[in-house]
Amino acid sequence: MITVCHMYPDLLNLYGDRGNVIAFLKRCMWRNIPVNLVEVGLGESIDFEKIDFLFLGGGSDTEQNLIARDLMKRKKLLSQAVENGLVVLAICGGYQLLGRYYRTLDGKEIPGLSIMNHYTVAGKNRLTGNVAVEIELDGKKHKIVGFENHAGRTFLDGVKPLSKILSGFGNNAKDGTEGAVYKNVFCSYLHGPILPKNPELTDHLIKLALERKGIQQELLPLNDQFEKQAKEYILSKLL
Amino acid sequence: MAVLFGKLVFRLSKMLGYKGSSLPGMVALKIYPGFLSQISKKLDRRIVLVTGTNGKTTTNNIIASIMRASGYKIVCNAEGANMINGIAAAFILAADFKGNLNHDYAVLEVDEASFPHVTKYLNPEFVVINNFFRDQLDRYGELDKTILFIKDAVKKLEDTVLIANADDPLVMRITAFSKHKTVYYGVLTKSEEQFVKAKETKEARFCPVCGSKLIYDFYHYSQLGDYKCEGCGFKRPDLDICALEVKLLDGGICSKVCDRIHKMEFEIKLNIKGFYNIYNALAACAFSRLKAIDVPIIQKALFEYKPVAGRLEVFYNDEKEILLNLVKNPTGFNEGIKTLGSIEKTKDVFIAINDNHADGIDISWLWDVDFEFLADRGDVLSFICSGKRSEEMALRLKYAGVPVEKIKIIKNMREAVAVVVNEKAKNAYLFATYTALWPVQRYLKAILKSSEKEQRACKMK
Repeated sequence: MITVCHMYPDLLNLYGDRGNVIAFLKRCMWRNIPVNLVEVGLGESIDFEKIDFLFLGGGSDTEQNLIARDLMKRKKLLSQAVENGLVVLAICGGYQLLGRYYRTLDGKEIPGLSIMNHYTVAGKNRLTGNVAVEIELDGKKHKIVGFENHAGRTFLDGVKPLSKILSGFGNNAKDGTEGAVYKNVFCSYLHGPILPKNPELTDHLIKLALERKGIQQELLPLNDQFEKQAKEYILSKLL
Repeated sequence: MAVLFGKLVFRLSKMLGYKGSSLPGMVALKIYPGFLSQISKKLDRRIVLVTGTNGKTTTNNIIASIMRASGYKIVCNAEGANMINGIAAAFILAADFKGNLNHDYAVLEVDEASFPHVTKYLNPEFVVINNFFRDQLDRYGELDKTILFIKDAVKKLEDTVLIANADDPLVMRITAFSKHKTVYYGVLTKSEEQFVKAKETKEARFCPVCGSKLIYDFYHYSQLGDYKCEGCGFKRPDLDICALEVKLLDGGICSKVCDRIHKMEFEIKLNIKGFYNIYNALAACAFSRLKAIDVPIIQKALFEYKPVAGRLEVFYNDEKEILLNLVKNPTGFNEGIKTLGSIEKTKDVFIAINDNHADGIDISWLWDVDFEFLADRGDVLSFICSGKRSEEMALRLKYAGVPVEKIKIIKNMREAVAVVVNEKAKNAYLFATYTALWPVQRYLKAILKSSEKEQRACKMK
């Protein structure tokens, strides 16, 4: 049984990111891989050791501050779980929180969880638009698409980028990188949401979650016609 | 001078085949930026502005028809041109060539993001604030900021009376701290017909005063309902104008309305579907009662109100009922899905999604809509996805659990409309984003017209 954990589903529900949880669950179910969902709200207890895939999204400022406070209390346990190979997908605000800090426009540094080494600096204008990136999974290159909308500029400071930008702004509109990877933690600015249109990435996360449980299994191929068409539309627009 | 040029531009753009709803305003504002405050001075503050995320056009048009019925000559931006240029254009079209305005009142819907800009020029007698839902985020940044901007803009207004939806805690972020006289409307009790699913995307969950989580006695839909804060005691304010016993009828809504300012009650009936329209009607009732308009005039105008394009506009192809529903955000789409779900006949669903600037280029919000509700319903026979983002829509439906064989992608809108009109089901329900709405409506009318001709020809034989 794969257990999926959706952190703060009723708070971090901007930009349709719950589609990532839907995609992960459905692609397990369609292959008859037993899967269940745990939703965790502010202050609710959670045993990260019992989780196989954790999703952390982004919210507007009010919500972001609330969850930052809540996550700080779970810092040690979450950090341990990450070191033990917990599979995580963190998007936008969730990505920023896993790093060292977020520096606001007036220079205030809001501490992050410091699970990863990156940091984020607020910019004046928002980086918004459709994005195409190239990602390498198990030695194979794939094109991934999504939509970015962030004021923060993230600098990796030694962390491995998730992908390289083909079109769009990415981490900081400067170094051509998008997202970050550390152990089994995948971070990205891409909404869209990212997983449904990019089944290669979804299946990669499912495989990692299974492997961590000691299950080595080739995933059954699925009919990804709609997925391909939806991705193709963005690619044809950008490239 | 600016007015004259604006009028010329309007004529020209009409001749070129445009609707001419914003361009004249843009030109006039370019020539003389102060013209809007000058022209509005002639009205001596006899202005009502309607803002909020959903229901602006409907509320504004209901107010306009009530005002007209009670003898006012009004300026109104009825076509939904609700940014500064559209509002300027409404005044230009109303004025004569010398720029004189022979009108009694201006009834204007204002885009949320444009509100602070518009109130720089206009100081209204009333402001109606209906609700806040997530809408076209890529254009506005985030909802919190939009609300903050409106709050700051309202603060600068003098002697304006606010007419506010008390059921929406997000609206309270503006009115709870305001020194302005505020008249609150809302739905007093939980209505039986409504159902609320825990999964639904809810916007506000926090107390506008202390930031603690709000506790709800009940939800009407999304974050609208009867709430209180356990932290500081803040709660939904007392309602001045409220609906009691809201009933959804086949093809409409009826309710008892209690006017607590004048201590009286009256019945209203609307011939438009969708529970959310009760809020638009209540806002109009509150405004009209404050203007001392007689109840029978209000009742008649509400009863006779016909929706504008895409606000659940009804068409018929022989026996088949076809509904057209504009969608802009998850809340509106979810309400549309509920309305669709309440229709007992079989239906085909058509969804046209565009990602032009006016629609919002980010369509991620489709994943916040509860299509799961339609996944295993046998009465929905097919889903036809159209528009620029038809593939993404099809993908969303697939992940909502809709059987893939029920989903068709027909990118060309004309073709897709023809298909849904001729499908087997007894009812067709059409959803369209903003820039898809007009083409869909046009194709639909053309198809219905030609099938009418065919039928007549058959009868002649």
